[in-house]
Amino acid sequence: MTDSHLTRRALMRYGAYGAGAAALAGTAASWDRLTGADIPGRDDGSLVVATLGPAYGPEAIRTLQDGFRELHPDIKLRVNAVQAVDWSDFFAKILTQVAAGTAPDLVYVATEGVQLFAQRLGVALDKWVRRDAAELKEYFADVHPSLVESMMYEGSLYQLPVEFNAADMYFNRQVLRRAGADFPPADWTRDDFTTLLRDMKKSSGSRFTPYFWTNRLWGGVVPWLFANDTNLLAESKAPGGRWLWDGFYPAAQRKGRGGGFRWTTPQATHDRVEEVYDYLASLIQDGLCTRPEGGNGQNLIGVFSTGRVGVTPAGGFWAGGLSLAGMEPDGFDVQYFPRWRTQRMQYGAAGYALLRTSKMQDEAWEFIKYAARKDTLERLFTTNQTTPARRSLLTADRYEKTGPAHWPVFYDTLDRFPDTGPIPAPPQVAEVEQVLLKHTGTALASPRSVRPALRRMQGDLEKAMERDA
Amino acid sequence: MTNTQTPPARAARPEAAPAPTRKRPPARDRGSRLLATLFLAPTIVGIVVFTVVPIVGSVVLSLFHWNVIDSPGYAGLSNYGEVFGDSTVLVSFRNTLVFMVFAVALQLLIALALALTINGRMPVWLRSVFRSAFFFPLVLSAASISVVMKYLFNQDFGVVNWLLGFVGIAPVPWLTSENAAMATVVLVYVWQQFGFSFLLFIGGLNNIPKEIHEAAALDGATGLRKHLTVTLPLLSPTLLVASVVGIINALQVFEQPYVLTNGGPGDSTRTVVMVIYETAFEQLRFGEASAVGVLLFALIMAVTALQFRLSRRFVHYQ
Repeated sequence: MTDSHLTRRALMRYGAYGAGAAALAGTAASWDRLTGADIPGRDDGSLVVATLGPAYGPEAIRTLQDGFRELHPDIKLRVNAVQAVDWSDFFAKILTQVAAGTAPDLVYVATEGVQLFAQRLGVALDKWVRRDAAELKEYFADVHPSLVESMMYEGSLYQLPVEFNAADMYFNRQVLRRAGADFPPADWTRDDFTTLLRDMKKSSGSRFTPYFWTNRLWGGVVPWLFANDTNLLAESKAPGGRWLWDGFYPAAQRKGRGGGFRWTTPQATHDRVEEVYDYLASLIQDGLCTRPEGGNGQNLIGVFSTGRVGVTPAGGFWAGGLSLAGMEPDGFDVQYFPRWRTQRMQYGAAGYALLRTSKMQDEAWEFIKYAARKDTLERLFTTNQTTPARRSLLTADRYEKTGPAHWPVFYDTLDRFPDTGPIPAPPQVAEVEQVLLKHTGTALASPRSVRPALRRMQGDLEKAMERDA
Repeated sequence: MTNTQTPPARAARPEAAPAPTRKRPPARDRGSRLLATLFLAPTIVGIVVFTVVPIVGSVVLSLFHWNVIDSPGYAGLSNYGEVFGDSTVLVSFRNTLVFMVFAVALQLLIALALALTINGRMPVWLRSVFRSAFFFPLVLSAASISVVMKYLFNQDFGVVNWLLGFVGIAPVPWLTSENAAMATVVLVYVWQQFGFSFLLFIGGLNNIPKEIHEAAALDGATGLRKHLTVTLPLLSPTLLVASVVGIINALQVFEQPYVLTNGGPGDSTRTVVMVIYETAFEQLRFGEASAVGVLLFALIMAVTALQFRLSRRFVHYQ
């Protein structure tokens, strides 16, 4: 007998090992343990709604869920607040869920992602809007057509806007008093703005910055581009959309409306774009404004409320933020962005997008309608953390405690300047934004670098726009 | 019946060594091996699942175009072509190498200087205080530290410029100037990371026998000379470990430049891992991002191999 044959003892030993392993495997298989299916709401037939976590706290989520349950007790709802730094971070996380096969049914999407979602993932809401037209008449009558148009893509509607923020100018009243300056009129100009900054600088110490702005798509360079009657990408309107405008808006309001915005050819080397950068560079040179820095307005609240910043662009969301930070309503005020060649304003809006992968599309539509109801928005936006898309919600009562005195500016930005438009956000928005931030930083970081930086910006934008989103 | 006759061919080669006979290891050894394999199994499975599979996955993904939403399409080596033609990627590699050189050099110098100082004549309790203080930043989250540092280094409202104002220095654009931004990122990174090298050096210094220093002292070596001729050569294995770990970490830097400057102004602080993140998760070009990742992996392997190769000349083991 050779070694290649098992001995009886070895055979018994391996048999015992095998039996032991089988017993262990059996025990493990029968053991109660957590799996993905144990996550509340997963695969239990719930309608899953993904919201931007920081914007929707636990209280807001409870409000959304309780209200919807009352209205639709037959539809299970799970609100998934995705924690993210900003919109691009949020979209990245949603796309990861899509890739993992755990896509939500509805996603809260801001202007930055409207076209990307519409093109790749979204379902047009047209058929439901047509079907429930009678029910929605009241909604559209209360919402400015500009906001609705910004949620359209190639003739179809993809979201019902529930909130927006236009880039208006906030003033610290204490700084205005110190400078002996009056609150500017609604039709103030860019030169008035510069003079005001100079007055503020003169009356304050060296540790004071008259104008603070952050380097980003919303509220950075773009409002100045709009005011100078230009844009980062050539802007036009898609055809179509008549079904919506004719059905819901009177002739005066539907004039000039189309099937959504198109942002196409980059125009960073355009003279007017260069003028804007030269102007901002001159403000930096004269010590009237900060060098461009990334981030959002949150880190600014402290320095603004203590009088170390005079003016900054922000939306209605800042009224809530300043109030929460302890600033009295009469401590600050808001006015339209100053006029340059035009006084066209810039805004960003948000609403719920329905994903193609959803198997509960009818139920999702019911949620979209519910989320845009007046009573829902009233309960949701109690602290003025944003500007509600419904005009009727902007009342003196709402702003009595959070201010500012000129709160009607928030919605009048749309009503008074009907050409006010959304930030340029084609499906390639992530790359466009990155290119803008990068080259704005270079253009304004050192003197005489505007023109070369804009040339590089143009080249990078062209590459970005040529790429498939 | 087995054949016991030697084949003629083998008989003609008497110098050939007899074939080793395979002996079965004793039963006790077999049990030990089985036990060792069982204990190692979780680690091996972990390495395979969390290291080998992702590496292979990245290499495979780098050969495809994939945007998460649509099905992947085979791209061959075109992603690598895109990467080499992208000035942002090339600049990010340059930035990362510059960052690595300054960050690792500063980190090692500061850590070594402090370790030598603290390991000298100092009360034990004070030594413990310093050890804890220097190690403390390492246990904090890099992102949180960077957020705080962003406030401190703000040109207009930061504490650093406020303090400099007292000695008449004009506000420095720490994070918004192309010249200063990288230096600031390096400073913040080194401040957080040097504690690790510091602890390694303390351990290495304690391992040097006192007799060698005493012998050197008897031969007349004092102060700096003693450190140069005795301490450093004997500390060289520790220096090698600290520099290998330091370089690998520095080549993968992400949080500090991402939070402090977001890669700007321009691309001046954009690092390779930032480009990987942006390309994959913001621009949804996972194939290209994987190609950059594979190149970074190759760079790290090459630099580490070079270090070990050079270490033969400079590292002295007792």
